[in-house]
Amino acid sequence: MTIRRDLLIGLGLALLVALLPAVIGMRYVLTQATLFFIWGIVVLQWNLVLGIGGIFSLAQMALFAVGAYATAMLGYYFAMPMVLAMPLAALITVVVSTLVGLACLRLKGPYVALLTLAVAQVLYLLIVNDTECFTNPSSGCMPLFGGVRGFTRFGDLGFRDLFGAKWYVANYYLGLVLLCLAAAFSIAIIRGPMGLAFQALRDNPGCAMARGVSRFKYQLWIFALSAFFTGLAGSFYAVHFAAVGPTAFSITTLLFLLSMIVVGGIGTVWGPLLGALLLMLADETMREFGDWRDIGLGVILAGFVILLPKGVLGSLQGLVQRLRRARPS
Amino acid sequence: MSALLTLQNVTAGYGSQTVLREISLTIAEGGLTAIIGPNGHGKTTLLRAISGLLPLRAGSISLGGLNLTGLRPDEIVAAGIIHVPQGDMLFPEMTVIENLLMGAYLPEAAAESAMRLEQVFALLPKLKERRNQVASTLSGGERRMVGIGRGLMGGGRLLMLDEPSLGLAPIVIDQIYDVIGELAAAGQSILVVEENAARVADKASLITLLDNGHLVWTGQGAELMARPEILETYLGA
Amino acid sequence: MDVIVQILASGLTMGAMYAISTIGLALVYGSLNMLNMSHGALLALGGYICYFAMSHLGLHPVLGLIAAMLVCGLVGLGIYYVAAQPMLRSANFETQIFIATIGIGAIIENVILRLFGPQPTAQPLNLPGALVIGTVHIPNQNLLILGVALGLMAALAYLLQRTRLGRAIRATAQNREAAQLMGVRVGVVYAQVLALSGGLAAISGVMVSSLSSLLPNMGGDPMLKAFIICVVAGLGNVYGAVAAAIVLGLLEAFAQYMLGVRYSFAILLLLVIAVLIWRPYGLFGRRQVVRL
Repeated sequence: MTIRRDLLIGLGLALLVALLPAVIGMRYVLTQATLFFIWGIVVLQWNLVLGIGGIFSLAQMALFAVGAYATAMLGYYFAMPMVLAMPLAALITVVVSTLVGLACLRLKGPYVALLTLAVAQVLYLLIVNDTECFTNPSSGCMPLFGGVRGFTRFGDLGFRDLFGAKWYVANYYLGLVLLCLAAAFSIAIIRGPMGLAFQALRDNPGCAMARGVSRFKYQLWIFALSAFFTGLAGSFYAVHFAAVGPTAFSITTLLFLLSMIVVGGIGTVWGPLLGALLLMLADETMREFGDWRDIGLGVILAGFVILLPKGVLGSLQGLVQRLRRARPS
Repeated sequence: MSALLTLQNVTAGYGSQTVLREISLTIAEGGLTAIIGPNGHGKTTLLRAISGLLPLRAGSISLGGLNLTGLRPDEIVAAGIIHVPQGDMLFPEMTVIENLLMGAYLPEAAAESAMRLEQVFALLPKLKERRNQVASTLSGGERRMVGIGRGLMGGGRLLMLDEPSLGLAPIVIDQIYDVIGELAAAGQSILVVEENAARVADKASLITLLDNGHLVWTGQGAELMARPEILETYLGA
Repeated sequence: MDVIVQILASGLTMGAMYAISTIGLALVYGSLNMLNMSHGALLALGGYICYFAMSHLGLHPVLGLIAAMLVCGLVGLGIYYVAAQPMLRSANFETQIFIATIGIGAIIENVILRLFGPQPTAQPLNLPGALVIGTVHIPNQNLLILGVALGLMAALAYLLQRTRLGRAIRATAQNREAAQLMGVRVGVVYAQVLALSGGLAAISGVMVSSLSSLLPNMGGDPMLKAFIICVVAGLGNVYGAVAAAIVLGLLEAFAQYMLGVRYSFAILLLLVIAVLIWRPYGLFGRRQVVRL
């Protein structure tokens, strides 16, 4: 019913954003916008898992890191061209996420949150604590997973050769395209049969389960499928910054992205993107108060959950509905 | 007889749903009052509204002249209304005796808990046998007895029982109602919610019929049994 | 033989330490269904308050510990009234409070960072010397931790089983509405539980930091382990959590000796996942029968 409306909104927005480089050509703005596309993809997928699937996954940044690391390692060890490495890395992320899902999703609510957090922490520790040299290039010892320093110089998409100094504009458009695909995927899930199944599981679990809707099965599907774009975002992040390191696991980033979803509105179609935009703008203004940034993030996260748990978009929708109901039709 | 519990225009519900509409009811001191009505018509909601678990939308409740409107559940317990909820709601990991003692949690009741425990054991000897058994391992009938016993430990002026016959075998239901009858005969004021009019008709001093959130009929038990058309209309019996 | 004694000693110390950091979490989850993600930050706060009280105010170690418990208890109380209470009736309470406490944890941690800086600092509450039995060397600080853990557990067991507050806590945890109908003021019980858990977090933070050092984010690792222990034991099961903590401490000491520090945590986690697949509600957890 509304899938057409959502796709139209998306298309309109995408066209507007596509014109941005013509208006503001500043490199800083465009790279920040590219970062916005990346975080946008991640929060859209996280929102599917959290808001639609009801899976409290804290492993999203770890999956993002899997995509990034897989890309870097494919390029570094096998000299694979990035055009191939990126989709392959996304598929690897799907495999990893399926395994994590199989292990975690038989559990419910808080158990899932803790286990996924622990999985992320273990991956991080395994990478950081790894000091054995896997190879010994001229730059020094290189552990299998890059250790504390991570990977650099694993190849790129060749935009520098093609477009010269304007390579970042190409990255901008690639990011935009990926975000559009991720958004279309997210809309299809929310408005499609899978979204309906989850709606049924939420509204009347007994009836849904009696009619053969298995929560575990659907949760595993949504968890695995959404990992494709999460991994792809990680992969693109690695290519865009030409570096991957254990900072991809940082709690601050996790906090930042979770805040985006909460501020925008958990479970809404466009909320996460709105949240990503608002938080990146807020972050930009808070940059001057650098030291207070994390405190500010904490206040925003806690404040929104306590005072406006449905987020900006969710609350607006609620308001509109109430106004409509108040006016007798 | 003086009025014990007075409800005036009580309206309550959940979310956008209004379950109880302007209920007014007076219950006298002593004896058994029964609220009957089909499932899903607000009987449990009425008890929850009285005990403060559900806030009132409108109306007022008072106990012996004391205004209870808007008080917290613990304040209402302290005022003397003990609510034995539907489905027992025991503390599953506590023993029978621990459950019973929780019934006398408030200081005034705790001071008399030894004496009350004797009374409860005298009334429900089965509980004395099972005193150290964990509640979750009891049978359905035993649980119901613990629930009622726990309610009695509070020594309230009014004991509210929500469907004490629910889910029990007929023979156990008879035992439970014998106990309730004994209590009422001993002067304890009891408000009982029941689906089956026949079970309470001969014991209750007052029966009131709740249909779709409204009180539609109030009178004596014998009177009700003599009017099959009422039973037919509201209970389909 | 000596190796085994050494492993046992360090395993028990670790287990005891985990147990202290776990019981507060288990208590809060058991009563409110609230996963307090700011528990780790409270650990750090406790460690730093004790350090501040001893090094900057020159207080006696015991007073330092008490000061830490008081401050963390108050912060716990604050978390209840500011975050938990307003959303207690919400249908998504578990998810919301989880996210809210992640935010609160970040605030506390970064306030500590602002006030005390990012450099590792030594915890002054530390017993020097060691107990030497043959070739086995057990630092006195480890013995202190064991003693504190045992004392705390005994005190907590007494509180839960024998006192009015304890009965109210257990009743509220087992059935919130029934507890209300007994006259328990559950809001007050919740507030007390969070204050108590804050106090326990403070002790835990002081002990953890005395073995390593004070860092603003020092609570993250013990908190994660405490969560894992809670999950293995069955969330909210206080006694199960203590048992699981000690078993996991021993296991970790053993794994560290056999396989090195690097893999011990990963192996621990694999074990936990295996346990949870076998028993999804934890070793001692009740399977909650959901009536539809």
